[in-house]
Amino acid sequence: MTQKIGRREFVKTGAKAGVALAVGGRLAAAAARAKAVDVGVGIGADYEKAALKAVEVLGGIETFVPKGAKVALLPNVQSRHPGSFTKPEVLRAVIKLCRKAGAKEVNCLSWQTMKQWEDTGLKAVLDAEGAGLKLFEKDESLFKPVPVPGGQALTEARVLADLYAHDLFINMPITKDHAGNKFTGAMKNLMGLNSPVSNRTFHRPNWKTDPDDVAHLEQSIVDLNKAVKPALNVVDATEFITTNGPFGPGELIKPQKVVAGVDRVAVDAYCAGLWGLKPEDIVQIKRASEQGLGRMDLSKVAVKEARA
Amino acid sequence: MRPPVTKPSLAIIWVIGLLAVIAAAAASRSEGPLRGYLPEDNAAPGWTRDGEPQEYEGQDLYTYIDGGAEIYHEYGFRRVIVQDYKNAGGKSVSLEIFEMETPAAAFGMFTFKRSGKGKVLKLGGGAELEAYYLNYWNGRFLVTLTGFDEAGETIEALGAMARAVETRIREHGSAAAPALVSALPEEGLVPGSVKYLRGLLGLNNIYPFYTARGLAFVEAVKGVYEGGAGLLVLDYGRPETRAAAWTDLKGYLAGSDRFKPVPPGDGGLAVFLDGKGLALAFAESGPRIIVGIDADAARASRLARLAR
Repeated sequence: MTQKIGRREFVKTGAKAGVALAVGGRLAAAAARAKAVDVGVGIGADYEKAALKAVEVLGGIETFVPKGAKVALLPNVQSRHPGSFTKPEVLRAVIKLCRKAGAKEVNCLSWQTMKQWEDTGLKAVLDAEGAGLKLFEKDESLFKPVPVPGGQALTEARVLADLYAHDLFINMPITKDHAGNKFTGAMKNLMGLNSPVSNRTFHRPNWKTDPDDVAHLEQSIVDLNKAVKPALNVVDATEFITTNGPFGPGELIKPQKVVAGVDRVAVDAYCAGLWGLKPEDIVQIKRASEQGLGRMDLSKVAVKEARA
Repeated sequence: MRPPVTKPSLAIIWVIGLLAVIAAAAASRSEGPLRGYLPEDNAAPGWTRDGEPQEYEGQDLYTYIDGGAEIYHEYGFRRVIVQDYKNAGGKSVSLEIFEMETPAAAFGMFTFKRSGKGKVLKLGGGAELEAYYLNYWNGRFLVTLTGFDEAGETIEALGAMARAVETRIREHGSAAAPALVSALPEEGLVPGSVKYLRGLLGLNNIYPFYTARGLAFVEAVKGVYEGGAGLLVLDYGRPETRAAAWTDLKGYLAGSDRFKPVPPGDGGLAVFLDGKGLALAFAESGPRIIVGIDADAARASRLARLAR
């Protein structure tokens, strides 16, 4: 089911949800439960099975999705070029997992266009699996101001208000190259929930001449992650572009991996290593680690890889 | 009874005529000037247009390439047209024709997007066929064709459509690379390794200095030499601008924990070691800063002096 949501529809249906998103309580509890393995990696040519395996080795979907939960998903639909969007197979796996855990409702939230959802094949998966697609207009009134505790570049984020009508949120990026900051993964994907107007402030006008502006985009991404924390990150690292990102086309590599974890910094650090990048060279990963969002030193992270 | 023809009636006819002319002009504008470059059906045998073309101008590029438009604007972007093609076997190809502000901008984006490892084709100012996509440039135009698989019929279609576009682009004669490219000594230069830059975003993708200090160059070029050494030439337009920039950049390098000064190389060049063990040897020449980059400081210095 697809809902195209403008301001009028949201005021009618969404306002009553208020700030019910249990991103604080339930997710913190979920993170605490997922201690044995920090980063679960499913490997295999069958990407749906690889995704299922990644969550399984992390402790199973029941660790993260309580029965009766209303779940929000955020896959990447930025481009339809190969290796630049979350694979339909990975989305299908996560929807099936949520159903298995007894989720009451599963919705993808997006302010991108229907064409992007159709071109990437993700819309067809939602239809086949009976999950919802909530497409929001780029109307600022549909975004909720969210304070950024300890924000250095942002004092507040502007997050899709409907997120807070869900019990939990699963972040589903694809890891890939990005011309602006060399790497995109779990942390940067949250820009897909933040308002386009707010996202534009991440790229300040003086960044080419002001040395203090160079890392502004990276710090903004880190700050956004202080405001919103996913219950779980399931990252598509099956096939992705290592050049000409985020849009492509670019050089494609095929590690055939799906990476799952609660710690976004650890997940991104692991993904960066898949294509020869050092986490400490990626400013957003380094800063997020320094500012306490997670761990980039993989020697201190329990990573479990399993073939699907 | 038919009313007599009066002067007001004639005026109305004139107004209607004028409106029709304006509407026709508007319609012509809405179709955009790039439509004439799109190949007709069967320009590549068996491939026909799939849907209507999409066109984006100026800042609208952000609508099409959300998160990836900045690099096009850094080089100088005017407009793009996108048209899909399909064949009876269900294969798809996407054609993008980017009109840049100058031939140098088109050449720059071409060098940014190509891998340098693809198959070189004789087309326009330069063309490279990669595993599933093709880039080529001519005059102010950059053409990118993307197949959504690597099947033989798809790859053949990329070449055929590129040739069809080429016959329609009439700006031949302006397909010479910018003069700065000749600052790279030819001997030992790896074919396809040249990257032409117009700003910090491009530079950060080639060698990140993690600063904007002293890097407000007008144009730059980088090449890789046999053995892996790199040569970067930054052109500031005027010697006095270069001198001020070098003072600024040198001050940053000396004070940064990412770089460590090492004893002057051959010819007294300033040399810094980066965190990955690469030596950067800096030479000055007129409006240019020349940077030799190699694990071997002596080799980096020799390359910089050679280019000077």
